[in-house]
Formats: sequence, structure tokens, C-alpha cells
Amino acid sequence: MRLFKLNRLIPYLLLAPSLALTLFALGYPVYDLVRMSLHEVNRFGMLQQFVGLQNFSDLLRDPLFAPSLYRTLVWTFGIVVGTVLLSLPVALILNEPFIGRGIARTIILLPWAVSLAMTAIVWRWALSGQHGLLNATLMDLGLINAPIVWLATAQTSFPIAIGIGILVSIPFTVTVFLGGLSSVPGEIYDAARVDGATGLPLFRYITLPLLKPFFNLAVILNVIYVFNSFPIIWVLTEGGPANTTDILVTYLYKLAFRFGDLDVAATLSLIMFAILLAISVLFALLTRRGESRA
Amino acid sequence: MKRLLVVLFLLVWGLAAAQTSLRVVIAEYSGLTGPFFQDVAADFQRAHPDIEVRIEVVPWDLLFMRLTTDIAGGRAPDISIIGTRWLAEFVAEGLAEPLDAFMTDAFRGQFIEAFLTPSILDGKTYGLPVAASVRAFYYNKDLFEAAGITEPPVSWDELREAARRIVEETDAFGFGLQGGEIEADVYWYYALWTFGGDILTDDGQSGINSPEAVAAAEFYRQLIRDGLTQPGPTAYGREDLQELFKAGRLGMMITGPWFIGHLAAEAPDLNYGVAALPFKERPATMGVTDTIMMFSTSRAKEAAWQFLEFAFQPEYRFRFTQGEGMLPVLKAVAEDLYFAEHPRLGTIVDLLPHARFAPIVPEWERIADITVRALQLVYLEQAPPEQALNEAAEQINRILGR
Amino acid sequence: MLKRSFIYWLLLAPLALVILFPFAVMLSTALKPRAEVFSFPPRWLPSRFAWENFTAMWDALNIGNALLTSLIVTALASLLVLAVSVFAAYAMARYAFWGKGVFQQYLLVTQMLSPFVLVVGIFRAMVQFNLLDTLLAIILVYAAFNIAFATWMLYRYFEALPTELEEAALVDGANRLQSIRYIFLPLALPAIAVTSLFTFIWVWNEFVLALTLLRSVENYTLPIAIFSAVGGRYVVEWQQVMAATLTATLPAVLLFLYLQRHLQRGLLLGSSR
Repeated sequence: MRLFKLNRLIPYLLLAPSLALTLFALGYPVYDLVRMSLHEVNRFGMLQQFVGLQNFSDLLRDPLFAPSLYRTLVWTFGIVVGTVLLSLPVALILNEPFIGRGIARTIILLPWAVSLAMTAIVWRWALSGQHGLLNATLMDLGLINAPIVWLATAQTSFPIAIGIGILVSIPFTVTVFLGGLSSVPGEIYDAARVDGATGLPLFRYITLPLLKPFFNLAVILNVIYVFNSFPIIWVLTEGGPANTTDILVTYLYKLAFRFGDLDVAATLSLIMFAILLAISVLFALLTRRGESRA
Repeated sequence: MKRLLVVLFLLVWGLAAAQTSLRVVIAEYSGLTGPFFQDVAADFQRAHPDIEVRIEVVPWDLLFMRLTTDIAGGRAPDISIIGTRWLAEFVAEGLAEPLDAFMTDAFRGQFIEAFLTPSILDGKTYGLPVAASVRAFYYNKDLFEAAGITEPPVSWDELREAARRIVEETDAFGFGLQGGEIEADVYWYYALWTFGGDILTDDGQSGINSPEAVAAAEFYRQLIRDGLTQPGPTAYGREDLQELFKAGRLGMMITGPWFIGHLAAEAPDLNYGVAALPFKERPATMGVTDTIMMFSTSRAKEAAWQFLEFAFQPEYRFRFTQGEGMLPVLKAVAEDLYFAEHPRLGTIVDLLPHARFAPIVPEWERIADITVRALQLVYLEQAPPEQALNEAAEQINRILGR
Repeated sequence: MLKRSFIYWLLLAPLALVILFPFAVMLSTALKPRAEVFSFPPRWLPSRFAWENFTAMWDALNIGNALLTSLIVTALASLLVLAVSVFAAYAMARYAFWGKGVFQQYLLVTQMLSPFVLVVGIFRAMVQFNLLDTLLAIILVYAAFNIAFATWMLYRYFEALPTELEEAALVDGANRLQSIRYIFLPLALPAIAVTSLFTFIWVWNEFVLALTLLRSVENYTLPIAIFSAVGGRYVVEWQQVMAATLTATLPAVLLFLYLQRHLQRGLLLGSSR
């Protein structure tokens, strides 16, 4: 009888450390955040008076909020779709044996080895109008005649930022896919081949469905990371010119650490959190059907 | 045995109590800043063995965020360097300790008044100027010669003409115009002030949509449109322009005194000159100070003041000012032969009487941001100057009214 | 094999080139003497290889110390994350219990708040616990931020592992612990290796939290040491910064080379035979 009860407790005991650690580091900050969003807070984080939901309405009425939100959605969607579309074929290739595969894998994983801030700094350097190596290379190759000032307007800088975002998201996504591909038991392939399946149908009816949970994992985690990703846009353009490349997180930084509006900033971060939560719930609902089938 | 432990404990506790500890946050100007202040701290601790000084060096870009989190966490340092433009906020929150009680008249008299004034609010001195600069006009003499220009331009129209000639006769760019990043608005204030405008009018309203302001913005817009500046100004911060000038590809630009040191170190063969900013209605230039202040939350104010007093001795000030390429804030340092006889620095120092400083108002960062946004719209030809500046002025006035 | 390899390389080439481009820029700049860094027109090859940049930046940026600090912090944080997450993931993969779905969602939620946004709160919390400017604080916080992801990853992998082997062992008379130790863990090793890789990278490159919680120069991790050489300075020694960045990526690259074998298909299959 006692064994039965103890057995019941085991999973909770196993979970306890992770719960404790996360609550320790994140519990108070989240509470703090909620508190700040409901008060007027001075530049230095000192609470002043309770204002209820006024910060929320101030934020929603801010003319810079809606465009930043829209741009954030474009940014997130663009990077995640681009990353997944590129990572799947790359993972499939890297899963097959070929000469120099180890090197190929290492190259694909390279962007991961550099911190995001440094990657952004190096790209900014390379994109410089006059002494950037990108312009130099493009001109040497005869692709352009005169240097282009890539970071002067949003039309060129935003797509480039998305491109860089894709590049730095590929290593992670490819790794998840490779892990997924390697967990597909070989017997299934063998059995399918015995039944005469090869090539594309093999991929479509065996590989893809078994990859689904990993696919979902990659998408949802990428969405979360990209949505909150700060360094790339910040280093390239600081959200400018004229706020035309601002996404919610760069706007948040300015609110908090330039203008000192910690109350509105706290509110914005809660809104961003709510948006992410909504996206993930939506995604979970959409994918639940797929998973149960597998 | 027990008694020995008690005695030891009391001894150690007593010693610890006798030791005052100071935390000093220093903003990083260059690789020299940290070592310099470490040296000052070491010398100070030798002279005052009962005071321990800990120097924390923080890059400028991160300074505000660092101070915000420190203060929010109740861990404000005793002393910190701040941008003077932030001082109004610190004072408004009661975080800055007035220094008048600590300063003797002799001490106060050491300072060049113009640089001390920005740190004085409501008649109280809330900080000391640790770095000061006045902006000047730099021009490439070789490019001028190649373009057939003999004298640096005195008026903005002459500058326009000079830029045109440089673009036609050489393959360099004419006038460097900063359209992005920090101080993009300052670059326009040079024109605003010399055109006769003001950032704030006498009754505390925004002056950036005055006729003079619109004219200044229009002037810049035309420079860009006519290709007389480097292409894509909104992608250029101050460092980018300086690099262009160093490479000899820019005919003219406006920046601070530190550039002289940079050029000497990295482009010693560049033949350049320093002059006053171009003139339209009145001569003007921008003065900027950085302030070192004491926090009112400090628990060691006496010791903190002793450190400040120590650090402001002329020998240290000379070393710092020369090393970082700033302008002297102490009269004694200004009179040192190095500064007095330096041809180019001397020119810059002469501009001091016309130096104007940014207004010290709370929410200055937000106001500057609104101004930059309006200017960028103008530079990108996405809005006509009058409209952009009117909208900006309206937003600024709303903030000022709060 | 040869033909296939050629085709695969051809397909991967465009991506590989774009990926290698910034590294080439870094290497090119790191090897240039200061005067050539801003030359026009910009050149790829310097007039001479300025290897002294590497030694200069080592001293100027105190990289040796930062490297050591980063290694210690990353190793300890990764170990902590693994220890905690393996338990949690095992529980989720091998047990059915009330609250499992809730816990899953909770984990995902902890990922959604970027550290950036919580900076002020975390700072205040650490001050409360008197842990400011300690490596312990940063290790705990790093671990907390990575648990969700590690647990998810491990959970997925563990779930995919067939239970028959463990059950067979139990039938053969082994107890639960033994079955875990001798059957489960060896199978789980590749998954654990990959997950620890993710954590390592995240911690190795993390910047915002380290900046907030670490104060004295002796405690700086690599990202802060490098950034402080760039952010807001009046003069930036780009050649040193690039050299430092390259040096900072080296441990990660070595780890990749070592661990990428574990991403092979079939590693998990051996067991079924």
C-alpha cells in the first residue's frame, strides 16, 4: 500500500527541482513586472501611484505601437517560415552519408557559435556603405556598380535583418530536425522499403509524419525566440530610421532604458507575453490533431 | 581561547567598520579611461588608507541601463559619471546630492564657469564637469586645394559652394551629415542655432518649428538631395563620418575636440584644418559636458567628496583631458602650455563664448528622439520639413506641458 | 557516393557561402593592421598578417580571465540544467500523472518572457538574496532560463525511446533504478549530448543577464568583455574586437566538431536489435 502511494509521488518529486529553480529566478521578476504595469513608475523603478489599466490604454493609443506590432509579426513570420523551409532540406541532406559531411554540418552550425550581438555587429560592419566588404565583393563580382547604403532605409535594411535572422536560426532548427530524423527507427524504413516504397512517397508518408512533433517544437520555439529577438535590428538600425524598422522588443528597450517609461515598458512586455501565449495556444490547437494520429 | 576569539572578532569588526567603501561608476570613453581611474583610486587609497575605492567601468551604451537597474534595486553607487542631459531626471527624483556645501570658494573658482553651469539646477550644483567638448568644423585642406578653395567656408552658402566644388573636382564627398544614431539631432542644432533658431523658446515651448528651424532643415534636405553629402545619411553615425574623414574621402564635417587626437594617431598625414562652424544669422556651436555626481543615497558622502576633490586636482585633470581628447574644465589646465599653445585645440577653445548647451529638461531623451524622427523623415524625403517639424513640435510641447 | 556527395555539396554551397561570409569578414579584419581596417576601397587581404592583434586583444580585453569565467559558468550552468531537466523529462516521458499538461505549458511559458524584459526584476531579486555580482547568481539564473527548453527536448527524445527494453530488464529482475542506469541512460545519451549542446551555446553567448548581474571586471564573461570594447567608446579597435570574437567562438566550434557525431541516424536504433 505504501509503495503504491510513494510511486504516485515520484513524478512530482522529479519535477520539483525544475519548478523550484524556475520559480526562484522568474517568479519575483514576473510579479514585479505586473506590479509596475499597474502603477506609475519613475525612471528608476520606484513605484509611485496606482493607475490601474491606464498604462495599457496609453500604450494602445501610442501611434508607434501598432506599426511595431505589425512589423514584429512580419519579422517573426518571415524568419520562422524562411528558417523552416531552408532547414528541412538541409537536415535531410545532412542526414545522408556523404563525403565531408562532418565539415558540412559544422559549417551549417557555425552561426550558432557566435553570440547574436557579435553576429549583428559583424554584419553591420560588412554592410557599411563605404568600407563594407559586402559592397566591395558585390562590386568586384560586377553585380552592382556603386556602393549601396544598405542600412539607410527600411526597404533594404528590414529584409536584410530578416535574412540574418534566418541565418542564425538555421543551426538550431537543423539540429532539431536532425535529432528527429535520427529518432526514426530504422525498421520502419526497412519495412516500407520491403513494401516497395522509395523516394518521395517514402518521405511524404513515413518521414514527414514522424518528424511532425519535432517540426512543431522547432516552429514554436523559433517563434518565441524570434519574437523577442533584440540584437539584430538594434545593432543594424536601432529601429530607425524614423522608427521604420522598430519591432516591439526594440521599442520596448527605448521605452525602458532611453525614455525611462518603465511602467509602459512593463505593460508592453506583458502584452508581448500575451501575444506569444495566444500564438502558442493557437499553434497547439492546430497541431494536436496531427500528433494524435502519429 | 574564547576570549581570544572575541577580541579577534572585535578587532576585525572594528577594522571593517573603520574602512569606508566607495563604489564609483565610470563611463568608458576609451581604453585609457579604466586604467586612468584605477590609478587615481590607487593614489587616493594610499593617501587615505581608511577608504576603499572600487571603480566599475561601464561602456557608455550600457551606462543608463546599468544605473537604472542599480537604482531600482536599491544599489546605487556612491559616485557616477552621467551624461549631463540625464541630470534633470536624477535631480527630479532626488537622487543627486548638491555639492555646494562641500565646495569651497577656492575649489569652485578653479572651474571654467561655462562648463560648470550645465550642472547647476535651481541654484544648486549637482555635479562636476568631468568631460567637456565644444564642436568645431573640420575640413580637409588637400581636398580644398584640389577643388580650388582657399579659405574654409564662413557662411552656410559658402559651405554649399565648397561642397559642390569638392564633389565636382574630386571623387570625395562634400559635407558629412549625420542622420542616424545618437546625436543625429545635435548635428541639426548646429544649423538651427546658426540660422537663428532655438531648441526651446523663451516661454519654454519647442522652437523646432520656427521659420528659422524650417529653413535650416530645408537647407540640409537640399544638400542631401543635390548629392553634396555622403549618400544615405540616415545610416551614418558620428563614428562612421569620422572614419570617412580619416580616410580622406570627406571634405568637411563637424565634430568634437577628441578627433584631433584620433587623427594624430590614425591619419597623421592627413592635411586638415579646424575652424568655426558656418554662420548665417549668428555664430554658434554646441557645448557638451558629462557630469560626475554624488548620489544622495550614498552612505559615505564625506569620503565620496574627498575622492572627488582628489580626482579634480589639476595633474589628474590634465592627464584625463589630454588622454581622452577633451577640453579642459579647470582654468589651470586650460592655461597649461599644451592646451594654450596647441594650434587646433586653441581654435576650438576660442569657440567657447558662442557655445550653447542642450536644455536640461526632464524627458530630454524622448524629446531628442522625436526630433530625430522628424529630421530623418525630412532627410529621406518622406515628409516636407514644415510638416514634420510642426508635428514634432506639437508632440514635444505636450511632453513639456506635463 | 562521389556523385551524390557532389550534388549535396552543390546544394549546400549557397547557404554555406552566406554563412561563412561574416566569418571571413571577421578573419580578414582581425588580421589587418589598425591603419588598414578602414581602407578604401575595402580589401579582403591585408598587406601583412597582423597576428599581434590576437595577443594585443588578449591583454587589452582581459580575454584570458573572461574565457575562464565563461567556461566555469557555462559548464556549471549546463550541468545544473541537465541534472534538473533529465529528472523532469524522465518523469514526463515515463509517468502519467495529473498536471502533466499544465507543467508542459508552464515550461513553454517560462520561455516566452525574454530575459531582457525581466532584467529589473531579476536584479532586484538577486539583491534581495544578496547574490549580486556572484557567479552563483548567474549560474542559477541561466539554469532557470534553460530548464524549459532542455526538459522539452529531452522529453521528446525520451518519449521516442522504446520502453520494451526497460520493461524487459524489469522482468529479468532488475529494479527501477538499475533499469534506468544500465538501459535507459545509455540510450538517452545522444539526446542528453544534444541538449547540453543547446544549453552550452545559449549560456556561452548570453549577454543581457550577465551584464545586469555581474559587476566587477574579474567576473565578466566573454560576451561582456567583448561588447565593452565596442559599445559607446569613442575609438573602437575593430581588429581587436574581431580577433576576440573569433577566439570566443572557438570553444563552441570545437564542441560542435566533437558532438556532431551524435546527430547520426541509427544511433538510437542499435538497441532494437
